[in-house]
Amino acid sequence: MEAAHKKAEGNKPTFAEYDYSNFYYGAGDDPLNLLGPFASWYEEALPNGYYLYSEPVHSAPTTRVQIKDRKTGQVRDLLNLASYNYLGISYREEVKQAAIEAVHKYGLGASGSPILSGTFDIHNELAEAMASFKDKPAAILFPTGYSANIGFISALMRSGDNVILDQYSHASIVDGAILAKSKTLFFRHNNPMDLERKLLKCTGKKLVVVEGVYSMDGDVCALPEIVEVAKRHGARVLIDEAHSTFLFGANGRGVAEHFGLDKEVDFHLGTFSKSLGGQGGFVCGSKDLVDYVNAFGRSRFFSCNLAPPVAAGLLAGVKIVEAEPQLRAKLWSNVAFLRRRFAEEGVDIGKSTSQVMPVQVNNDSRVFAVAERIQERGLFLQPVTYPAVPKHKSRLRISVSAAHTEADLEFATQVIAGVLREEGIVR
Amino acid sequence: MNDGKTRYGYKNAISGFFEFPTDNARRILPGYLEPVELHHGTSIFAMTAFDFTESMVGPYGEVVMAVIVSPTVKPGERLPKSAFYPYLVATTTKAARDHAIERWHLPHWMEDVGVQFQQDKGRLTAKVSSGPDPVAELTVTDHSWSPVSHLYQSFMKDGQGAFLANIVMEGSQSEHEEELGKVVLYEHSFNRDLVISDVYDVPFRELWMKDGRQTFDPLITLQTV
Repeated sequence: MEAAHKKAEGNKPTFAEYDYSNFYYGAGDDPLNLLGPFASWYEEALPNGYYLYSEPVHSAPTTRVQIKDRKTGQVRDLLNLASYNYLGISYREEVKQAAIEAVHKYGLGASGSPILSGTFDIHNELAEAMASFKDKPAAILFPTGYSANIGFISALMRSGDNVILDQYSHASIVDGAILAKSKTLFFRHNNPMDLERKLLKCTGKKLVVVEGVYSMDGDVCALPEIVEVAKRHGARVLIDEAHSTFLFGANGRGVAEHFGLDKEVDFHLGTFSKSLGGQGGFVCGSKDLVDYVNAFGRSRFFSCNLAPPVAAGLLAGVKIVEAEPQLRAKLWSNVAFLRRRFAEEGVDIGKSTSQVMPVQVNNDSRVFAVAERIQERGLFLQPVTYPAVPKHKSRLRISVSAAHTEADLEFATQVIAGVLREEGIVR
Repeated sequence: MNDGKTRYGYKNAISGFFEFPTDNARRILPGYLEPVELHHGTSIFAMTAFDFTESMVGPYGEVVMAVIVSPTVKPGERLPKSAFYPYLVATTTKAARDHAIERWHLPHWMEDVGVQFQQDKGRLTAKVSSGPDPVAELTVTDHSWSPVSHLYQSFMKDGQGAFLANIVMEGSQSEHEEELGKVVLYEHSFNRDLVISDVYDVPFRELWMKDGRQTFDPLITLQTV
């Protein structure tokens, strides 16, 4: 990890002194002015740790993956703690077989917008299966989770309306509010009192948006308190259960079910890319809601529909989740095991209470070196640093899967705790 | 050293960066400047207090109320860390005020203010007063310290035109986002440009520099429509 603190050479922006946030805003006469400084910085950032991002995966995202090291060019076999795939579904034989059969039946893609020629019988089957799984009258599909949030929020909210978001909201939620041209207010993370302060400033239509599990910290939404405040102020509540659908609650419907607030929450959104390891998003609700979003959800309306083989694989995945509740039990057993082992080894995972665990490094200049050493010792997991998380809150994000064995997780504990101890981060 | 640069030595320079509504930021900014948004609809108010020990006008205290704006980037030139639009500056001496108005075209509170620094272990508070009245209190906390040399930009506008200053801040720096600091803004005409209840009083970022030097390049005149 050489040159992390290399001094400035002339006007070249040095790796350690700058980050992505410095290359976003820049006034001047030419929109291309930021390209040169960014390229110059990235040239140094890449070998100093940014090469750990987007390393090509040469295998299925099972608990072990073949990763091509962007620095050395070598393909290595690593224990996978980076992929979502929380239930280990995407590479199950039934899922692959369903997708293969769909390729034979439908070919590659949908070849059209869902509101024109791109809706296939398999899409309708998947939507019905999701509505049934979530115990709602109807569901509507989106090609990605990102498009679900921007499409749904902008379908429902307008200029002059109020969208009130948790400050740690996913970019797709923020972008949905921007696209809706609504007044956007952020409340402090998971803080119902601050939500109330913000709601007191709002008149007219109000939508409060939260996530079931927050993707960078792995903490669970304080849903009972937030719903109570929202309802008292006449606000509707949307929950994005990207990281909690199929996992939380007696039936796996999500955090809303976990808290017994399935009916109190107005809108239920989720993705297929996390627990099922697939692709796509969905919103569940009344038939009227789905019909309205079908008409005004522009991100869906103006996109090609989900590829039919993906929809077929997802449908098979939903059936597995319904038939095998033991997968959820195994996941939570794995989460408990890893939490216990990290606690014993003194590894800090912040406020996580879910399968998303941030291993706190809390040192922006060393997080890449730590990540590099951990990868060298056989683990695939990635560093997260500013501006994705606050300064000095850098971390390594772990996704626990039901497919991991306790031996996998023990190995991971030994490697992570060992490196953190060698680096002086764990004593 | 006659290189056209103007240098100031300081013992402490502290900044708190606070969320406030972009509507408020736009009311403060001239039309040609764009506020940097922390989130959509949320801009950044910055309060900075200096304890200058050396300058052309002797030692003095200074407080700068500013909005963070988009920096100007030019090919081949050093990339600024960020840019400020100081909409109100106040100093402890008339000489410092006259100097900054003449040289840097900075808008000033036209009376001497009190700027008192109080340090308590890892915390530093700057208390600003105007006569007997408290105006503002900024508290920052420290984290890890390292020597830095960072380029910032400052945009200014007065009756004579619009200007840009490139400013290099050198010294030992602590910067963090632990949300441990605080600002108290009093109901006082000094704060009339802010809707105080809309300024989140805990800084999302705290910056503390010690025993360093602030160097201004010669002022650049801007062409604005």
